[in-house]
Amino acid sequence: MITRRAAIEAALGAGAAAVFGAVHPVLAQAADQVVADQVLKVGIDLSLTGADAESATRIKDGALLAFEEAEAKHEIPGYRIEVVTYDDGTATAGQYDPAQAATNARKMVSDHDVVAAVGPQMSGAGKAMAPILSQGGLAIITPASTNPDITDPRFAPQYRPGGKPVYFRTVTTDTYQGPGLANYWSDTLHVKTVYILDDGGAFGVGLADAFQKRAEQKGIKVLGRDRLDAKAADYTTVLTKIKSLNPDALYFGGVLQAGVKLAKQSYDIIPKVIKGGGDGMMGPEMLTAAGFPAAEGWYVTIASPHLTEDDRMADWMKSYKSRFGVSPDDYAITAYDAGLVIIDAIKRVAATGKLVTRDAVRDAIQVADVKTLQGGVSFDANGDLKDRTVSVFHIKHDPSFPADDLVHQYRYLGVAPTS
Amino acid sequence: MTNFDLLLQQTINGLSLGAMYALLALGFTLVYGILELINFSHFNVFMVGSFVGLWTLQMFGLSGQDVILTGLPLAGVLLAAFAVTMLASGALGVAIERLCLRPLRDVKGPAAMITTIGVSTILFNVILLSVGADSKNYPNPLPTVRFQLAGAVLDLRVILIWIVALLLMAGLWLFVQRSRLGKAMRATAQDPEAARMMGVNVDRVIVIAFFAGSALAGAGGLIFGLYYNYTSFLIGFTTGLRAFTAAVLGGIGSVPGAMAGGVIIGLVEAMGGQFIATAWTDVIIFSILVLVLVFRPTGLFGRLAPVKS
Repeated sequence: MITRRAAIEAALGAGAAAVFGAVHPVLAQAADQVVADQVLKVGIDLSLTGADAESATRIKDGALLAFEEAEAKHEIPGYRIEVVTYDDGTATAGQYDPAQAATNARKMVSDHDVVAAVGPQMSGAGKAMAPILSQGGLAIITPASTNPDITDPRFAPQYRPGGKPVYFRTVTTDTYQGPGLANYWSDTLHVKTVYILDDGGAFGVGLADAFQKRAEQKGIKVLGRDRLDAKAADYTTVLTKIKSLNPDALYFGGVLQAGVKLAKQSYDIIPKVIKGGGDGMMGPEMLTAAGFPAAEGWYVTIASPHLTEDDRMADWMKSYKSRFGVSPDDYAITAYDAGLVIIDAIKRVAATGKLVTRDAVRDAIQVADVKTLQGGVSFDANGDLKDRTVSVFHIKHDPSFPADDLVHQYRYLGVAPTS
Repeated sequence: MTNFDLLLQQTINGLSLGAMYALLALGFTLVYGILELINFSHFNVFMVGSFVGLWTLQMFGLSGQDVILTGLPLAGVLLAAFAVTMLASGALGVAIERLCLRPLRDVKGPAAMITTIGVSTILFNVILLSVGADSKNYPNPLPTVRFQLAGAVLDLRVILIWIVALLLMAGLWLFVQRSRLGKAMRATAQDPEAARMMGVNVDRVIVIAFFAGSALAGAGGLIFGLYYNYTSFLIGFTTGLRAFTAAVLGGIGSVPGAMAGGVIIGLVEAMGGQFIATAWTDVIIFSILVLVLVFRPTGLFGRLAPVKS
C-alpha cells in the first residue's frame, strides 16, 4: 500500500514538474526581472518532540542559520529559499516515530516546491523515510543519523528503490562510530571485558552490533548482551545481573530516552564500571535529567570532528548564540554544513541556467565538493561522507560552567583510533 | 556475588517494583469493584501525581541530587510531599468521576471506559505541552545509606518505599474492612441496588473509591520519582499497564489480590530479567497473565462477580 501510494505521488510529482517545466521558462522570459524570485522549499525533518527535542532544536537552528545567511546575502540570484520544518517525534512514542517520519517524507515528496531536505536526526526515522524519498527522487542530507544500513548498497532494494542515492550525510556512520570507542577503550583504558546493552531502536541495535564486532576483534570479552525497553522505567534487574558478572565496562547503543534512566540507575548499582555510548548519549538531557553525579564519567562518541572548541569557529559560535540564545553542539555544525551543501548545489544548478529540479539538485549534491565548517565535504557513491572522523568525549563535571553546557561538561579527549 | 546474593538482590529489586505496581493496582481494583469500570485514566493520574510530587519538592527548594536532608526536616518535607501529592491526585480522580464519568453512569456499553481513555490522553498531552517532553531530574533529599545484606545491597530509599507502601495498603485495608464507609463500599460492590435501598449513599461511595484509588496512584508516582530520581510525561503507560496486569492477575475487584498481584509481577520482572533477559520481560509477564486467566478466569484472589440486576 505504502509503496504504491508513494509511487503514485511520485508519478504525479513528475507529471506536475513536466508541466511546470514547459510553462516556467516562458513566464520567466516574459516577465524577466519584474517577476519576483522563484521560491524553492527545503524541508527539515527532526525529532522535535520527545526525549531528543533539545538536541533536535539545536540541529534545526544550525540548518536554519545556513539558509538565513544565504537569504540575507541573496546568494542564489533569481531564487529564494523557504524552509519547511517537520517533526517526526510524537507524544505517544515519546521520541522519534518511524510512522510519523514516513508521513513527513510523503508530505515533502508531494510538495513539488521542495527540492532538497535536511534531516533526519534519528536512524529509525531515516529507515522509514529513505524508501519514500528515493521513489520521490528527493535528496536529504542527514546531519546526525548514523546507521550504516540506510546507505549500504547491500540494502539498496530496501532503502533505495528509486535507484540513485538520495540519503547523504555530513557525519560518518556507526560502522566507524561503534568501533571507534571499542578501539579507544581497548588501547587507552585496557578494557578486557564488557557487557553490551541496546535500546531496541534501529540506531541503538546497529551501533551496539558494530561495537560488539570490533570489541571481539580487539580481544575484549563480551560477557553478555541484553535489550532495554526504552519506555520501561526499571533497569535495576539487568544492572544487578551485570554487577554480578563484574565487567570492566558497559557499552550502551541507544538514545536518551533509555539512556537517562540507564545513567541514573547504573550510577547507583555499578558506579565503578566504565560506561559509554554513541552520539545518542550526547545531549543536554544527559546533563540535566540524568544530571551529576550520575552522568559523570560516561564516554561518548560523535560521528564527526569536534569543532565547537576550535578557535577558528569562534565567530560562527557567536552568531549562532546571538541568533538562538543557546550554544550550538557539533551536530548543529554538521546541520549548518548540510545547509551549505544544499545551497551550493542549488547555486550550481541555477548557474547553469537550467531549471532547479529535485533531480538536478540531487545530482549536484552527489558531486559536491564544498568547503564547510568541518572542512571539505564530499560524498562517496553511496552518499556517505568521505571523511570518517569519530571524536571521543568524557563527561566530567566542571562546576564553573552551567550544568547543561555541552561544550564544557563533555570534555573532548581526541579523535578515536581507527583500528 | 554468589547466586544467593544475586537472588536476594533481585528479590529486593522485585519487591520495590512490586510495591509500586501494588499501589497502582489498588486504584484499578477499587473502581472496578464498585463500578465494574476499567479506569484507564488511572495510568496518567499516576503520572500527574509524580509531577505534583516533583513540584512540591521543588517548592521546598530541592532540585537534583544536591540537597540532602536528614532527621526532622526530611520527615517534614516527605510528609508534606506525600500529603500534597495524594490530596491533589485524589482531587483529580474525584474531578474525573464528577465531570466525565457520572453523567455516563447509566449508559450501557463501553462509553465510560472509552471516556477514561480519552481523559488519560488529555492528561498525557496537557503535561507534555505544559512541562515539555524532556525527562525531569527528580529531587532526592534522602541521604545515601546502604546496608549490606550478605552480598546484596539494601538502600535506605528502598526500605522507605516498602514502609510507605505497606502503611498505605494497611490503611486502605483497615478502611475497607473496619470503617462504616468501608462497609458501605463493600456492600455497594456486592449489590449497588440493595445497598442504595439500605440507605447507603452510593454516589459518596463512588467518590471515595475514586479519591482513595487516585491518592494511592499519586503516592505511587511520588515513590516512583524518589526511587528512580526521574520522571517524564511518559511514565504512565508501561508502569500503568503492568499494574493493571497485576490487578487482573490478583483478581480485579479484590483488594488483597491487587497487592499480591503487584508483588508477583514485580518479582517476575526481576527474576525474568535475571534468568532469561530483560528484552523478554513483557513476554514473560503477559504469558503468566494469560495462563492464570485461562486456568482461573477470576484471577488468584478473585471471587465470581455477583449477579447484578
